[in-house]
Formats: sequence, C-alpha cells, structure tokens
Amino acid sequence: MSVDPWKGILKDTQRHSAYLRYFEEWEARIGSFLEYRLSQDDPSDSGRLPLGGVPFGVKDNIAVEGYHCTCGSKILKDFTSPYSATAVNRLKAAGAVPVGKCNLDEFGMGSSTDNSALKKTHNPWDVSRVAGGSSGGSAAAVAAGLVPFALGSDTGGSVRQPAAFCGVYGLKPTYGAVSRYGLVAYASSLEVVGVLADTVDTARRVFDVIKGQDELDQSSALYPGLSRDRGGNPGAAPPAASTARIAVVEGLEGLSPEVEETYRSSIDFYKAAGCEIQPVSLPSLDYAVAAYYTIATAEASANLARYTGIRYGYRDTGAVTMEEMVRSSRTKGFGDEVKLRILLGTYVLRSGFQDQYYGRAQKIRTAIRNDFDRVFAAADLLLMPVFPVQAFPHGDTSLDQFQQKLADKFTVAANLAGIPALSFPTAPRNGLPVGMQLLGPVFSEQRLFAAAEIHEKSLGGIPRPHGFRSV
Amino acid sequence: MAEYQSFIGLEIHIQLLTATKVFCGCRNRFGDEPNTNVCPVCLGYPGVLPAVNEQALLFSYMVARALNCDLSKTAYFDRKNYFYPDMTKNYQISQFHSPIGRNGWIEYETGGELKKVRIHDVHLEEDAGKSIHRGTATLLDYNRAGTSLLEIVTEPDMETGEDAEAFIQNFRRLVRYLGVCDGNMEEGSLRCDGNISINLKGKGLGTKTEVKNVNSSRFLKLSMNHEIGRQKRALEKGERIVQETRLWNEAQSRTEPMRTKESAHDYRYFPEPDMPPFRPSPAFIADVDARLVELPVYRKRRYEAEYGISGDQVQFLTEEKPVADFFESTVTAGADPLQAAAWICTDIQKNLNKLQIGLEESSLTSLRLAALINLVKEGVINRKKAELTLSLMLEEDKDPDVIVREQGWEQISDSGAIEALVTEVLQANPKAVDQIRGGDMKPMGFLTGQVMKLSKGQADPKLVQAVISGKLGS
Amino acid sequence: MDIHELRITAELAMLDLDEREMKVFEAEVSKTLEYFAQMNAVDVDGLEPTTHVLMEENRAREDRTRDENLSDRLLEEAPERQGRHIVIPNVL
Repeated sequence: MSVDPWKGILKDTQRHSAYLRYFEEWEARIGSFLEYRLSQDDPSDSGRLPLGGVPFGVKDNIAVEGYHCTCGSKILKDFTSPYSATAVNRLKAAGAVPVGKCNLDEFGMGSSTDNSALKKTHNPWDVSRVAGGSSGGSAAAVAAGLVPFALGSDTGGSVRQPAAFCGVYGLKPTYGAVSRYGLVAYASSLEVVGVLADTVDTARRVFDVIKGQDELDQSSALYPGLSRDRGGNPGAAPPAASTARIAVVEGLEGLSPEVEETYRSSIDFYKAAGCEIQPVSLPSLDYAVAAYYTIATAEASANLARYTGIRYGYRDTGAVTMEEMVRSSRTKGFGDEVKLRILLGTYVLRSGFQDQYYGRAQKIRTAIRNDFDRVFAAADLLLMPVFPVQAFPHGDTSLDQFQQKLADKFTVAANLAGIPALSFPTAPRNGLPVGMQLLGPVFSEQRLFAAAEIHEKSLGGIPRPHGFRSV
Repeated sequence: MAEYQSFIGLEIHIQLLTATKVFCGCRNRFGDEPNTNVCPVCLGYPGVLPAVNEQALLFSYMVARALNCDLSKTAYFDRKNYFYPDMTKNYQISQFHSPIGRNGWIEYETGGELKKVRIHDVHLEEDAGKSIHRGTATLLDYNRAGTSLLEIVTEPDMETGEDAEAFIQNFRRLVRYLGVCDGNMEEGSLRCDGNISINLKGKGLGTKTEVKNVNSSRFLKLSMNHEIGRQKRALEKGERIVQETRLWNEAQSRTEPMRTKESAHDYRYFPEPDMPPFRPSPAFIADVDARLVELPVYRKRRYEAEYGISGDQVQFLTEEKPVADFFESTVTAGADPLQAAAWICTDIQKNLNKLQIGLEESSLTSLRLAALINLVKEGVINRKKAELTLSLMLEEDKDPDVIVREQGWEQISDSGAIEALVTEVLQANPKAVDQIRGGDMKPMGFLTGQVMKLSKGQADPKLVQAVISGKLGS
Repeated sequence: MDIHELRITAELAMLDLDEREMKVFEAEVSKTLEYFAQMNAVDVDGLEPTTHVLMEENRAREDRTRDENLSDRLLEEAPERQGRHIVIPNVL
C-alpha cells in the first residue's frame, strides 16, 4: 500500500506510457487538472528519498514555480508563479514530483468546484455530480487514481468536503502546522495547506514532510507546538486508537438519511473496536457558520484587494484612468461568488458595522475554541459527519450557494478553533462515497491517523469508482 | 481683537536604518535602478506572507522607550485598507489597535527653555513605492515599497511654527543619536505632517487642518505660521474652518487645499492575521534599554551646566553624537573641557574641512587630542606650535609628542636661554628700550615679538615678557 | 443592506456593479447579513476576541538580505512596462 508502487512511474518508459494513457482517459471525463506535465524529469537518484519519484497534484491556489497559479479565476488566468510554496519545496526535496495543478472554486470560494471560471470538474463516481470543493480537482484526481496524493487548502472544509464527496482521505492540519507560504490567501487566520490521499499512510507520510516551522511564514508553528496546555498533551504518543475516548455529537439536524446512517454505523464501528463513546453537545456550533463567513469574507476583502491588473494578472486595457482600469479589471476578472464575498467582507469591516459583525464573530470564535477545549478535556477525539449530504448534482437547485454555506456547519468549526481534522471515506451508499471526520486537539494529527487507520483496515482500502485501475 | 490660541501636533514618519525591508529580505536601499530591490513579498504577489524584521522591532522599541511611552504588553499589526497604486497589497500593514508605544512624552528645547510634548503613539508600518507622472502614463517603482517606517504621532502641544521647528530639530537629533534614522528631511527619510487648529483662548481645540509636503524644518515653521494666520483671518471674517488636508506650496510660501477625489474613506482596520503578536520579554526590554543614550537635549544642558560651554560651541558639540562622544572622551582622558571644546569646534573642524573627511574617518583620537591639549598646558609647546602639531597629527597619524620631538618644537622655558635671546634683541633695538624706560610701554609687544621670532616661535611668550620687564625695570 | 450602502461598499471594494448586479447582490448580501445577525443571540460578554489562533510565540526575522534575484522575472508579469518601470494610466 501507500506510495511505494508509484516510485519510478515517470522514469520507466513502459509504465510511463500506460500511466499517461490512463491519466488522459480519466482526465477527459473528470477535468480535475487545469494544467499537467507528466513527461518530466524524475531526479535519477530520487528513489532513495521518502517520496522519490512519486507524482502529486497541487491545487491551483498553491504556487509551483513554472506552473500557472490561476486560483480558478479569470483575473489570474495567465499568471505564472515565479516561486514555489514551502510545502511544495519540501515535497520536492523529499523526491516527489508535482505533475499538475488541480481545479478549484475560484480563490477557494465554494463547495463544488463549479465556481471555477476556467474548467468544469466532475465527480469520478458520477460525472453528473460535483467533486465538492473547493479542492475538488485534487480530490477527484486522487479518487480516480491519477495521483496518490494532492495538496489542497482547507479554509472552512475545502479539503475535507471534496475528500468526502470523492471517497478519499482529507487532512486539515492544525493551523500553522504547515507553512502557508505560497498558498494564495483567502482567509488567512482560518486556512491551512492540507492533504488529499488514497491511504492513511500516504497522508501521514506527506504530512510528515510538509509540516513544521518556516521562516517565511511567521504564523507557522514548531511541531508539535507550544499549545500543549490546550486539550491535554497531544505532542505525546497517541493513545492506543482502539481504546480512545471518542466524543460524538447528539441531535444533529439536517443530515440526509445516508449521512445519518453512516454516522451511526461509524459510531458503532468505533464502539465495537473498543473505544469509549462520549455523547457531547457543542452549543456554539449553531453560530459557527455565521462567525466563519463573517471572518472569512472580512479577511478575503483585504486579501483580494491586490488583484488590480497593475503588477500582474488580468488588466482591462480599455480603461483610460487608473481607477477605471482597476475597477474594470476587478469587475471583469472576478466571478460573482468572489464579488459577493468581497462585498460582504468589506461591509462587515466598515466602521459602524465592524463591532456588530466582525468583532462579535471574533468573540464567538473564542466560544467555539472553549467548547472544543471542554470536549477534549474529557475525550481524545471527536467524530462528526463532514457534510450533511453526499455529492450533489451540478446545478442542484435545492442547494444554492447560500444553502451550501449553511451546510459547512460541521467543517468550519475546526478552522475557527485551529484544530486538526481528518475526513475518511466509508462504504459507499447508493453508489456514492460518504465521508466522516475525526477531530482532535491541536497537534494531534498522529492520533487522527491512528484512529482512521483501524477503520481503513476494516474497509480494506478506500472505495474506488468504476473504471479505476491501480498503477 | 480677540485673543487666539493655536495647537500644533505632528505626525512624523522616519525610515529606519535596517539592512532589509520590514517584511521581506529585500535590500533597504535607494537610488538603484527602478524595481530592482523587489521580491514576491513586497510586490504583493499571490501567496506571499510578511515576516517582520527583528531589527525594525528593536529600533521601534528604542524610539518608543526614548519617548517615554507605555509599551504594549502585546503589540500586533493591523491591516489598513485602501487602494493606492504605490501600495502593492492595497492594504498597508500598520499598527492601530495595539501599537508598540503609547502615552509618551518628550522634552525639547527652544530659546534655552525646555518644553514638553505628549506622544500619542509610536507604531511600525511599511512604506509605499513611488510613482512618476509622465503625461498620460504613471510609472511605478517599488524599490521603496515595504521598507520600514516608524510613525510618531504627537499630541497638539505646540503653539507656534517656531515651536514645531525646534521640536522637529530636536527630534531629528534624537533619532540620529539613537542611530535608527539618518534624519534627512530633504530626501524624505524623516517626513512630517502638521496638524493645526486655532481657537479663542480657553475654548480648547478648534477644527484642524493637516499640512503635508513639508520637507524641511524651516518650511514646517513657515507653513504652520502661515496656517495660523490663515485660520485667524478666516475666523475673524466669521468663516468656518474646513477640516481638510492642505499642501505646503514652497514656491508661493503658502498652504493650499489638496485636490482630492470625493470618495468614501474607511480604513477598515483589522488585526493582521499573518504575523503573531509580539510580546516583548524582559530580556528584550533590557536589550532595548542598553541601547538607549543620553538624549541630545539633556547632553547639551549638562555641558552648559557642568562645563560652562555655551552658544554655538555647545550647539556644535551636541549636534552629532560622535562629536559629543569624542568631546567627552577627550575630557575623560584628562583634557580641560573648555580647551577641548575650543579645539573641537575650531581647529579640528578647520583641518577636517581641509582634508574633507569626518571626525570618525580621521586618525585623530580623543587620547591624542587630550595629550596635545596637555602639552600646551604643561608649557611643552605653545598654542601656535600646537596648531601645527595638530595638522601633522592628522596628516601623519602620529601622537603629538612624537611630532613635537621630531620637529624640535619643544618650547624654550629655560630662563638662561631666554635671557640670552632678550639681551640680543634689546641691544638691537635701543630706541624701543629708551621709550619703555621713559615710561611708554607701547613697544613691549614689538620686543616680545622679536624675541619669539629669534626663537623660531619656541620661546614661552609669558616668560619672555617677564624677562624683558625685569631687565628694563618696568 | 440598501442600495446606498451597497454602493459605498462596492466603491470601497473597487468593484463596478451595474443595475442588474446591484439588485442581485443587494438581495444576496442582505440575506447573508440577516443570517450573520444570528450572532446577536450569543452572549459574548466576557469573551476576548480571538485575533490570532495558536500564535503564542514571538517571531521575527533576522535583518539579513535574501537575494532571490527575481526582479526581472517579476517584471515579466506586469501587463505594461517602460524600461524597468511598471506603467499604469495616469491617476488624474
């Protein structure tokens, strides 16, 4: 298992051409990559390295030198990054080879990848359905077996939700555990570079490579960090997964029958494995989405102010004055959802409104952290669904952009609290994957991997869509 | 006529003398080709993050401490949001909610009097790039974008343009003493905007205007006084003062309203999420304190009180820290303070000007100067020869006693030798001798001069006079 | 949020909205703000705002130049240039 079978696939001529064929067949159906280069040098002695010669995908809001970095937006369609993200550099140093850039919702804003201005991405399980988002391209590529892992970014669930929709593992690390240098900012205080992978072991190995403090990101932390007092001592060896105390949330509303059944059966699974199940309540969860979107849009309004067509990216050359040029380039360059979030974020920061919205959201954020502290004082882990429904069809009218935001209820809390969460696939229902997530106190990633691994064993590996072949 | 009171506050920006910019590793250097000292971070590229420079923090805390501010236990940055082509992210990383220092005060001297100005806050931020307007195009250069800028905001505690001028001159000396800024107003490394309001006496602050584009301390004085006059005239005419930003027009010597686009202004400050708050440790504060120095205004007053040095001399001695330090170590090395002051302000300056070098670059040390001063005091050489000795010390990088010995300039203080010289001169000038004997003392100076000439300037002039007087019984 | 507030907000955000977009965004923004207003139900008394999660350590960079020599490459991305200057229409 894990990434070892992938080593050398770019070097061995026969394997390479088979890989290329397989890749392109799938890609024609699902459109997970905005750009890819499978024919490239694999450093000759990379086999000795932990991820030597292993191909991987990178969400197109993470910089890879020499590749475009479009963020799924017209405003950066022709922009090529002059540098690489720290996470990418660390993976390259470990021998891994970035083979392409994965599609996403524009600037990471969305839950379907349909907000990409550049390409449509489909779910490998059913191409009439979305791959989830915003890291939909990364999830689809891993699910179809095009790469063993891909980097994504998780601002409010953007790694975990597409992982759940496509049936792969999705790790949202502790805030600051992975350098954000090179991740195009959407909501800086919430987001983190994450991993979509086909096995727990792959996710763990990739995380081990990319984690740790970076001098280019002063919000990055030593791993494990100083926050040992918050929620026990996660830096210590993980408790035996089979005897872990797992908190579960009672009375969750709005779940589809498939997701609700899967949540119950997952609880039963861990109980049967010997874990102690602790029902808990998370009262602040009801306000998490409002607080999340307030903070996320506020930060986005500043983070996206740099796109003006002055120094790089799309410029409307028809404009006569500087102001006109900037307004017009932004108006034509951004999609509707991005404009909506910029407007919301600008508004909640305006004087006269800031206390009521942004200020209050920051305090609710504290309440949510306190809630998690309380849960993790008594439990090792928390088990929750990822999203209330399975992958939905493109253009599903019952789930408009607003409804999709409300559905982020189970994912955003981890971002507000900065804690790690791991989305894992379970047995498909009605021909579609269902994802559950394990959350833990800060720096408890190893605990999450261990607990997900017992479940992985029982499942015998992730479910795969029809047409999947192992490389 | 009604009596008015004026209130002037300053917003001062100083460029810190760091090697690199405040949030990235680009060179902090001006005058290079446009857009050479730039990187993805200071150009605001997608995906980059700021990383604060420790030296910029240290310098900022030094200034805040020197200005007697309360230091924030937790200082952090905020984003100040507005669109401006010179600013690459369209937000400026600055400090608003929790700046480095607050509630400070500083004394400055004007006309020999100490006055106090309260400091509202001291905060660290990034500078913007520069644009040049050429017809229908604007050319942008970001070499300055992201360089460290420290802003000091005073309370409106000054009254006149003269106050403001004295304050900014005192402040300029202060930052130069601390070594955190070169204080060059013409080149913009020290910039100053003035806030000014007037009101009937006793009525508190009035409606203020802000005056920008003031690039010397003299223009600050002129612009503030001009603005006081303008506002006074407006109030006398019953007009209301409009709160606005005005520009100093150097050519016309007046302030003019700045033309601005009518647009919404709302900076929407919020905490910068990309960098953690900074909590200065006791060790950090101790390091800051260790780098503080006696401020120039106090040094000047101490020299006046302790040594009795005054006027231009004390001004010159305390203008630049290296000069003041040189003076003090000369005194510590045993020189008479008044002598040391005189030498530094005149002879040394003359020589340095001739050589076109600064004091620090010269071979002159305070030990050598003290030695020279003491050679005069002990009568080994006279003042004239000492001046020549100084020139040679600077040219040849030698100790004064070595030069005096090499040149054979030791003063003749042996009374026997002087008596022989005096006898020779008296014999050669019988007319002058007769005059003195007849009670006319006028030729005394002439005779002394003749003896000095005969001794090639090495005779001790006081001794010469005494011997002549003795011989002529006058 | 009424059209007036939306117009001010759009101006601060440097976005041009035509009449159609004004209507669409007005509805969408208002709906979302109403949802945000749920936060008013939370008792936040005594809660400190979380401005920086998990950043307990001072971080500062050594004052040392980092030469990436990227400036030529960065200028290539500029839509319009004159020599080493980046060009935009005159501000006036």
